[in-house]
Amino acid sequence: MSSASDPSIAIIGSGPSGCYTAQFLRKRFPSSLITIFDRLPMPYGLVRFGVAPDHAGTKAVTQQFDRLFARDGVKFVGNTEVGKDTSLEEIRTKFDIVVLATGLSADRSLGLTGENLPGVYGSGRVTRLINGHPEESIQGIELGSRLVIVGQGNVAIDLIRLSLTHADQLIEVGVDKDVAGLISSGNLKRIEVVGRSGIENAKFDVAMIKELIKIPDVRFTSDAVVTEGFDAETQKRVDAISALVENSPRDASREVNFHFGWTPLEISGQQKVETIKFIAKDNRTDLSLSTDAIFTAIGFTESELSSIKRDAHISSATNLERGFLDDGLYCVGWLRRGPQGTIPANRADAKLVSDAIIQDFENKQNMKEQGAL
Amino acid sequence: MSKKVVILFGTESGNAEFAAEDMAAAVEDREVEIIDMTDFDVDDFSPENFYLIICSTHGEGDLPSGAAPLFNSLASQAPDLTGVQYAMFGLGDSSYEHYSKGSEHIDDKLSELGAIRVGEYGRHDAHTGTLPNDTAVLWTKDVLAHF
Repeated sequence: MSSASDPSIAIIGSGPSGCYTAQFLRKRFPSSLITIFDRLPMPYGLVRFGVAPDHAGTKAVTQQFDRLFARDGVKFVGNTEVGKDTSLEEIRTKFDIVVLATGLSADRSLGLTGENLPGVYGSGRVTRLINGHPEESIQGIELGSRLVIVGQGNVAIDLIRLSLTHADQLIEVGVDKDVAGLISSGNLKRIEVVGRSGIENAKFDVAMIKELIKIPDVRFTSDAVVTEGFDAETQKRVDAISALVENSPRDASREVNFHFGWTPLEISGQQKVETIKFIAKDNRTDLSLSTDAIFTAIGFTESELSSIKRDAHISSATNLERGFLDDGLYCVGWLRRGPQGTIPANRADAKLVSDAIIQDFENKQNMKEQGAL
Repeated sequence: MSKKVVILFGTESGNAEFAAEDMAAAVEDREVEIIDMTDFDVDDFSPENFYLIICSTHGEGDLPSGAAPLFNSLASQAPDLTGVQYAMFGLGDSSYEHYSKGSEHIDDKLSELGAIRVGEYGRHDAHTGTLPNDTAVLWTKDVLAHF
């Protein structure tokens, strides 16, 4: 039962940004009709399909969102792709406020020849597969004893950890048996983790690196060039990699080699990927790695298949700093500011955009009241 | 008469705030207020109130962003907190090093400034895949039965 004054609100996308937005708006508008649409049958987007399945503590945030639907009167409408099953225009006619929270789902491409060879897989695709995304399957995915991961952000570190975790442990945290058997087949002997940045600019979080040391039977190495004069935060990253290398066993049946400061140049192979080449910024000789498979983990971008494209809704009044696209139309999270930041960053984003929505609504109410006088 | 209960939360992902709401709902027969640490003025600490503090951990055993402003004000203004009583509940994840350390930064600072921590130091481990709500509610009832 919506009171006359509270606006009706549609949120498109039920990932963390969308759900946090619903939370903040519900606090301000207790009687608003709030509906969250998702193209999938189940809610929670990247918390469900992006956060690694062995990070139960991070995934637990969905229990906050469960309450939105169970107690706080927020409605979930799944299986509904706005822009395809129903038009955004129609949604905008039906709701006073519409918030786009559809994220950025496509793996950013390396832009190299050979990238389309069999054996090259985007990390988003692999992560979705591991998390049981209904549109992913193991069909056509072949891994072997050698893997190259391009990128050194937290997604890359997740994939190192999951690839080296015993299949039984993956199954224990909910991974499908066949997927666990594929990702952690026991055949994997070597992972090369290659990043464009030097160690001083590497993207991983220190806590993620410290987690790797718990994996048994892995030798870690690094080609990082360590110099003096790093700031404290950088020094922590340098120390974490050094500690990982120093504390890993000299003799192990598996190895993970970190390579810093290498730009990918070319992927080659006959029927499938065989080699990936990198060049260094400094004068090191090119790095050429033979491999059975490549995971690209260099970030995310807007999918060409996406039914919602943010820039199609930009008007002369648009102010992305506060998520305002057009009258009654907002964007939040990765769709607003790009594919950076984890769950807490998207909560802060949702707060910012919710505050803008509330402010705009109150301004309108004030103008109406003044007009009525 | 029992003191008014002030629940101060410091959060990053909203879990501490979410638990604070359930803690407040579990307080019986006493006045209760929930305040985000971000919005709390250190001059408002008063021996007239009893403080339940719930705070998460971020990154390398650091404070959550929502608790940093309070910690910084305590450090820079160094108010005299003699007579202020509080109980502490820390959130963390034992998968990582520095488990539950975030709340301890606040705890150390409050003790240093003369406030007294009472009751058991509450903890919740997110490694279990649960949210802290149920544990925090039981802890709240237990603490308030004594103070």
